[in-house]
Amino acid sequence: MFELISEMWSFAFMRRAFVVTTVLSASVAPIGAFLVLRGLSLAGEAMAHAITPGIVIGFVIAGLSVTSLLVGGLIAGIGVAVLTALLARKTILRSDASLASLYLIALAAGIFILSAAGSAVPLKSFLFGSILGIGDPSLLLVGGVATLTLVSFAVLLRPLIISTCDPVFFESQTRRPWLVEQGFMLLLVLNLLAAFKTLGTLMAVGLMILPATAARYWASTITVQLVLGFVFAVLSCWIGLTLSFLFPETPSGPSIVLVAGGFFLISALIGPLGFGGRLRKASDAENTTVARTYTKERTE
Amino acid sequence: MPPVVQIRNLTLGYPGLVLFRQLSIDIEAGTTLAVLGANGAGKSTFVKMLLGLKSPLMGDMSWPGGRPKEIGYLAQMTEFDRRFPIRVRDLAAMGAWRGLGFWNRLDRAGRNRVAAALNDAGVADLADRPIHTLSGGQLQRTLFARVILQDAPLILLDEPFAAVDQNTETHLLAIIRRWRDEGRAVVLVVHDLSSVLDHCSHALLLGGQRATHGPVEDALTPDSLVAQGYLSESQATWMFREKARTPESANV
Repeated sequence: MFELISEMWSFAFMRRAFVVTTVLSASVAPIGAFLVLRGLSLAGEAMAHAITPGIVIGFVIAGLSVTSLLVGGLIAGIGVAVLTALLARKTILRSDASLASLYLIALAAGIFILSAAGSAVPLKSFLFGSILGIGDPSLLLVGGVATLTLVSFAVLLRPLIISTCDPVFFESQTRRPWLVEQGFMLLLVLNLLAAFKTLGTLMAVGLMILPATAARYWASTITVQLVLGFVFAVLSCWIGLTLSFLFPETPSGPSIVLVAGGFFLISALIGPLGFGGRLRKASDAENTTVARTYTKERTE
Repeated sequence: MPPVVQIRNLTLGYPGLVLFRQLSIDIEAGTTLAVLGANGAGKSTFVKMLLGLKSPLMGDMSWPGGRPKEIGYLAQMTEFDRRFPIRVRDLAAMGAWRGLGFWNRLDRAGRNRVAAALNDAGVADLADRPIHTLSGGQLQRTLFARVILQDAPLILLDEPFAAVDQNTETHLLAIIRRWRDEGRAVVLVVHDLSSVLDHCSHALLLGGQRATHGPVEDALTPDSLVAQGYLSESQATWMFREKARTPESANV
């Protein structure tokens, strides 16, 4: 065990991979939690696919640099988000169908362009990530996005909680309810881009959703949800990277997401809000407490 | 004392659909205004207009004493996420979040106010329970505690009794009466005539593109209720005969 760890640690790319995924976990955990709570899990997945053509076009034009990744990905992500809103508002399609249509076009276009351009980057590492590809610029990108995300969450947390739990009440409390939603979508796109190098476009959203859904089985408060989501995410990364190191042919993305999937299945089975737990319905005994309180008040 | 809200010549609706025309009404402090009407008559739209979430097609709404910083609001349950991971105490405390900024915690006085509001609403025992374990009535009590904490001069309640048992309704009506006694203006959308007749001072009846209002006994006559599509003629005859016999317990 210790031998394995010291062997992994002797490679600079592994040290980088451990650092970058730890920081990434802190950044994507709150995003994932609110994707799940807002019922946007699949929208997050779709968005991950939708940014592909932007990354590919940026790569074909300017090479695989952090700038091309950021610019291309942001344009594609924001473009798809705006077009989805437009289609949902002005045509008969609902927003899920609009988003699905757009991301399918975008994903196909991305892969088509990448193959047609005769890329030097193997398709597999593009789709599933590669721990070998993490240079200084990628580290800076992940660090920058994580800082921005955590600072934004400090500001957005209360509005996000209210708007997720009780959207109509939230609208009554603010003049600009769309600001929170749009800000959150922007953070989502930025985090998907940050996760791209390690996890690939197909797996990037896995590190957001699975730790969050796993945490959901244990959490009755938002604090527990956020903390536990981060713990599951970071453990998935560490174990996943180790697996990817042990089996050199495996890309890092799927092995990390697979471990996160393990946490999800275990949580579903034994978590207090999963199959094993007592769920939702208050017991009769607890109901009578209210009646008692009420009667007591009336007699006082 | 000036009215809290002054509405003049209001026409409310959507492009191509007028809900009602020419409503002029003052909503006074210390009154309880019941808003009634058939489905689609514009009750919830009227409440959303008071909140500033919906613009009128025509007419004016003004706030003679200035628009209150806080307007108490209880929305319909349809869009509320009952599985959200939050405790009863924290859900109620949202009513006191406005003054807190982004990351300040509630101070001791604030926490005491939350505890008192939960107690008022009859859910003090449930303070640490996650909301997904609550019954419909318990959740509605918690949301009432949140409205109490908003401490607003104008309170808007959209179908507050839609899914609650009789005990809870009685308890919540007592809170509404107290709000009125404290000099707040309360507007509540209701379906059940009986709760209006006994507990509200004024009524606004919407339907047939018209809006009539006044003290309850003037606004809710058998004629107006039938003319605006709220009751059929036979229902009105039956109901008001019941009321004449036992004025205390008019039930629809």
